[in-house]
Amino acid sequence: MGILDAIQTGLSELLSHKMRSMLTMLGVIFGVAAVIAMVSIGEGAKQEALDQIRQMGIDVIHVKRASISGELADKAEERSPYGLKYSDAQSIANVCSYAKRVVPTREVFADVKVGEKPVSVKIVGTTPDYLVVSRSKLQEGRFLFPTDIHDHLPVCVLGAAAKRELFGFDDPMGKTVKVSKKLFRVVGLIQPKEVGSAKAFSALRDLNSDIYIPINVSITDFKIASQQAIPADITKLQQIAMKLMSRTSIENSALSEVIVQVQNDVATGPTASIVRSVLNRSHRGIRDYEIIIPAELLKQSQQTQRIFNIVMAAIASISLLVGGIGIMNIMLATVTQRTREIGVRRCVGATRWDIVRQFMLEALVITCLGGLIGIVMGVGGAKAISDYAHWRTVVSMQAIIVSFGVSALVGIIFGMYPAVRAAMVDPIEALRYG
Amino acid sequence: MGGGLGWGPSNLSVIEVKDLKKTYKIGSVEIPALCGVSFAVEPGEFVAIMGPSGSGKSTLMNLIGCLDRPTSGVYKLDGTDASKLSDAARAAVRNRKIGFVFQSFNLLPRMSALKNTLLPMMYSSGRRDAKAARRALESVGLGKRLHHTPMQLSGGEQQRVAIARALVNDPPVMFGDEPTGNLDTVTGVEIMAIFQRLNNEGKTVIIVTHEADIAQHAKRILRFRDGLLESDEPVHEQLIAVPKPRE
Repeated sequence: MGILDAIQTGLSELLSHKMRSMLTMLGVIFGVAAVIAMVSIGEGAKQEALDQIRQMGIDVIHVKRASISGELADKAEERSPYGLKYSDAQSIANVCSYAKRVVPTREVFADVKVGEKPVSVKIVGTTPDYLVVSRSKLQEGRFLFPTDIHDHLPVCVLGAAAKRELFGFDDPMGKTVKVSKKLFRVVGLIQPKEVGSAKAFSALRDLNSDIYIPINVSITDFKIASQQAIPADITKLQQIAMKLMSRTSIENSALSEVIVQVQNDVATGPTASIVRSVLNRSHRGIRDYEIIIPAELLKQSQQTQRIFNIVMAAIASISLLVGGIGIMNIMLATVTQRTREIGVRRCVGATRWDIVRQFMLEALVITCLGGLIGIVMGVGGAKAISDYAHWRTVVSMQAIIVSFGVSALVGIIFGMYPAVRAAMVDPIEALRYG
Repeated sequence: MGGGLGWGPSNLSVIEVKDLKKTYKIGSVEIPALCGVSFAVEPGEFVAIMGPSGSGKSTLMNLIGCLDRPTSGVYKLDGTDASKLSDAARAAVRNRKIGFVFQSFNLLPRMSALKNTLLPMMYSSGRRDAKAARRALESVGLGKRLHHTPMQLSGGEQQRVAIARALVNDPPVMFGDEPTGNLDTVTGVEIMAIFQRLNNEGKTVIIVTHEADIAQHAKRILRFRDGLLESDEPVHEQLIAVPKPRE
């Protein structure tokens, strides 16, 4: 009996028991669909994480201001009242030999006006190196120049979203924007940046809506929210004294983040530990900052992905095992039910091997068909998830091929025993059966 | 028309059985079913095998139908020793040299008459000759019922499909195991008429029956009792089956 005949027989057998075939296939369908949907979600999350990490750059370290609460907060006020401050950036630059660029940033929310309507935008005070370190690209004009810092110039560079919000389709170059009460001249535009849909890491945010100004302008003109609250136990006199010492005030002014770019990505680890010890000393043991190393996040995310994959493989194999057992069960029932048919086939010239092949192919047809339906459902499910939950999903060809292969394998493994049972039927007994 | 005469000078028996024995073992108990049987069937013969139940006729049928192996003795089918063949080789013999017709028709219920007829072809080197199957069905008068399933056919029609299936590979021998047992007398006569026609066309036909008037349609009757051949006689007045015309 040709393979095609056997497959045709298998198919017609399936079609003659539609309900039973469907129920039999269900295990494989769900197994395969679950695997594909889950792999797609996992792969999507992985891509997302990788993209975001890559966007941060793997040769950088982010030192971020962290808010402290509870008991430690009082101690922090006492020992390190300014949190992450400008002098920290300076000492990191002085101490770390690996550090290629050290970029302080200062983020402040302010109302920005072009016409009459104020828009709340994040104002980022920073230095010229920020452009390189943040992997941004200029679309038009220029970024901040050292002379802007030196001359304390009121210039600004707009992120793509900020430009759209403030100017629409007008050309903003050379125009002025009003931030709080101060006027800034627009000197440059940043290219739009791809931003992932899910925020996998708090270190990342949508940079497109930022407005960049020279850091010293930010220090003198804007206050970081947390610094505005006057600590209770500092006397008014001390405050006045601090304000009078303007030089100290620059160094002690709060930063949101210090981005350290190192010589090469291998140096992030050692640099991070140096940064940690420098800050530990200057902050007197108060952890009012956090150090984020994208290269390490990358490793962590790969590790997580591996664990996720193992868990998924386990779930998938359990569901396929259950599906396989269901198939074996039905195939055994089928063999008993079709004993007479087996007898007739043997009588007209089918060898044992013909019978084995026929029943194996029937099991294979069930599982492969189930696998195909499962693939369609899995891919559809992944699509639905990305459409409705707005999760990024990546349907991997590998997952499709492997899960189809596994469902075929399930058919072979669990079809084997019933098929051999069928072949072992004595034709004389079989013809008398029923 | 005597045995073998229609086949010219060659006196090669199509079936040759020598001292054939079959003993079934159930646990440690041995039950003899066939205790040494010898006979030969020439090409073109029409033989009826008779005997009460337990006489060994079913065992003999299974042995000469290559469904089972003898405990001892020699069985030659169409010149080749079939008693020592492997399972696969016996399957091939059943496929090409024997056409089986059963009491309960044994058609595959979900297949059309045509597909049922094609079945033996599916197991012979993969060739599928729908024309041959159609011809076989036409020769038993079912040319207009090709696509009916067994459920849609009467008992007589089902048996005729079974005959077509037995014929499709053009085997030298046709075996009928109580082929009229499940049919009424009129239909039984119709089936016997087909067997007689096939025999007249040169096929060797062997049927097992316990109905004396059915056996009278054959040319020779072998009677069995207690696992032994009791008598081997030619039929002197062969009944010629004439099917009654139906509306």
